[in-house]
Amino acid sequence: MTALLEQIVNGAMMGAIYVLVALGMVLIFGVMEILNFAHGVLFMAGGYLCDVFVLHLTGSYPLAVILTMVTLAIIGVALERGVFRRLRVNVPMQIVASLGLILMAENGAVLLFGPSALQLTVPSVHSLVRVGELSFTVQHFIIIGAAVASIAALQLFLRRTRLGAALRATSQNPEAARVIGIDSDRVYRLTFAVASALAGLGGALLGPLFLISPQMGDLPLLKGLTAIVLGGMGSIPGAIVGGFAIGIIEAVSTLFITTDYRDMVVFAVLIAILLVRPWGLFGIRVRGDA
Amino acid sequence: MRVRAGTARLAIGALFAAALYLVPVAFAGSPYVLFTLTLTLCYAIPAMGLNLLLGYTGLVSLGHMGFAGVGAYVTALLMKHGLASFVPSILAGTLAAGLVGVLTGVPCLRLRSHYFIIVTLAVGMMLFLLFNNLDWLTGGAAGLPGVPRPRPLDLGFAVVDPRRPAGFYLLAATAFLLVFVIQYALVHSDFGRSLAAIRQDETLAASRGVDVFAHKLTIFAVSAAIAGLGGGVQVLFLRAAAPQSFGFLEDVNVVLIVIVGGSGSLFGPCLGALLFVALPEALRVADAFRMVLFGAALVALALFAPRGLWGLAATVARKLRADRSVVARAGHS
Repeated sequence: MTALLEQIVNGAMMGAIYVLVALGMVLIFGVMEILNFAHGVLFMAGGYLCDVFVLHLTGSYPLAVILTMVTLAIIGVALERGVFRRLRVNVPMQIVASLGLILMAENGAVLLFGPSALQLTVPSVHSLVRVGELSFTVQHFIIIGAAVASIAALQLFLRRTRLGAALRATSQNPEAARVIGIDSDRVYRLTFAVASALAGLGGALLGPLFLISPQMGDLPLLKGLTAIVLGGMGSIPGAIVGGFAIGIIEAVSTLFITTDYRDMVVFAVLIAILLVRPWGLFGIRVRGDA
Repeated sequence: MRVRAGTARLAIGALFAAALYLVPVAFAGSPYVLFTLTLTLCYAIPAMGLNLLLGYTGLVSLGHMGFAGVGAYVTALLMKHGLASFVPSILAGTLAAGLVGVLTGVPCLRLRSHYFIIVTLAVGMMLFLLFNNLDWLTGGAAGLPGVPRPRPLDLGFAVVDPRRPAGFYLLAATAFLLVFVIQYALVHSDFGRSLAAIRQDETLAASRGVDVFAHKLTIFAVSAAIAGLGGGVQVLFLRAAAPQSFGFLEDVNVVLIVIVGGSGSLFGPCLGALLFVALPEALRVADAFRMVLFGAALVALALFAPRGLWGLAATVARKLRADRSVVARAGHS
């Protein structure tokens, strides 16, 4: 029982990370129908930038996290303008461009920071919280809290602001949105900015707990993709449920089988759910779905 | 006109085949070039299989080297334990990969395009996890060393010995040509035209009487089987099966080979394979800076050559021809 509780908290923590990655990908997909396979390197960039900001600029971890998110929002806008806007209909070339970006970013990180992983020490990783017989780092709860806060902020933004309404309108019907005077280019920029900032937040939060390495974004990317398919592509609640579900399933599965097959369980669950609901848990069924 | 076009195509094919078989004579003195070209053929085979799916049917599979791995491990196990000779072994590998393709296709092909991409990625990862963790069968992460090469084959006028570089090259070239002919025949058949119809408009194809699911399942199985054949050839060439050869990076690599070379063209994947095998060999020490440049080149390609290098070459050739005909017409008047 104690072990189960421990794995559920650990799983919720990793799930929160997957949610931050998946939310960004689902926003980009929902608004622009683009699958950004390079989303993992934005996560990785978040880890490195946070490290640089803490060590060389601010000395304060919370301030560094905010600066990281701002910087990544700018990077996201540049990516949208420079690369993805021109690849909206060409899925294969989205994959090629994403891979090019991954190669550039991961090897760029090796050039700038060296191939070995960095360790960023922040106070919240060393202070522990006791829950009964178990103890977790404060960082565990910061991560879960930050994900929940991001979800709430995103919902408020989408439901209560004019810009959020413009984003939802563009996602539902781009032509009609343009007809009523919504600047779709502005919406696309905004989407990429928010999505990149969320990925950067994930990297900045997980970096101190694990290590900061050029490949640190690969796994969150894979799990984020799984989460958005599991939840239903284009569905924000789906990405949230999918992300947390994957984190908890993979953590709890290690109680029953060896960690070698942890990912196997996740992918098997994905395929099993799509067999029953080919449009995902919260996705919208369209014509032609079996 | 039809006959002439057909004859010209046949002549080009014959020349291509002859050039392919004369390579060992031309590079008899440089085993390194022969090694690189053989490896290129090993990658070109699964790439052509994927091209049937990605280029001609419009289905992106991100787990295709998983099927190649099934073919590779089945071939390697049969050969290593002396259970079967070369031809039955590699046939068994090809069929096994095709079977896994059917088992994957039945649940997955009902999904919409983006779901399908991610689920094939998941299937590829699952196959990799099996190769990597079924220690008693696949040797786990250490792989399966000591796979024997096929025995020498006496053709009467010459003996082909696959244990020598030139001999194995000829074997790989034969497998490659076989797959190339299959690719050509499929694309130019009624079946291939139905696939093109599905790619262009699935609903319209269905309403015109094309059984969309049956077509997709068939081509998915064929494509997986071809990948399995490529895996079998590769494992015999390298004399060992390693899980990393069929992991996520390789899945992505073969997709890049097809798209960058030019999906939906017969020679595109071959060009891509040559590029992706020969280039890293030429840039032997792949240091980080070169990989950054390579990444930038991929992004540039995605932006400026939406149909891949072969498509770019075709466009340039057509422009040049158009210019020349304009010049010729100007000369006449």
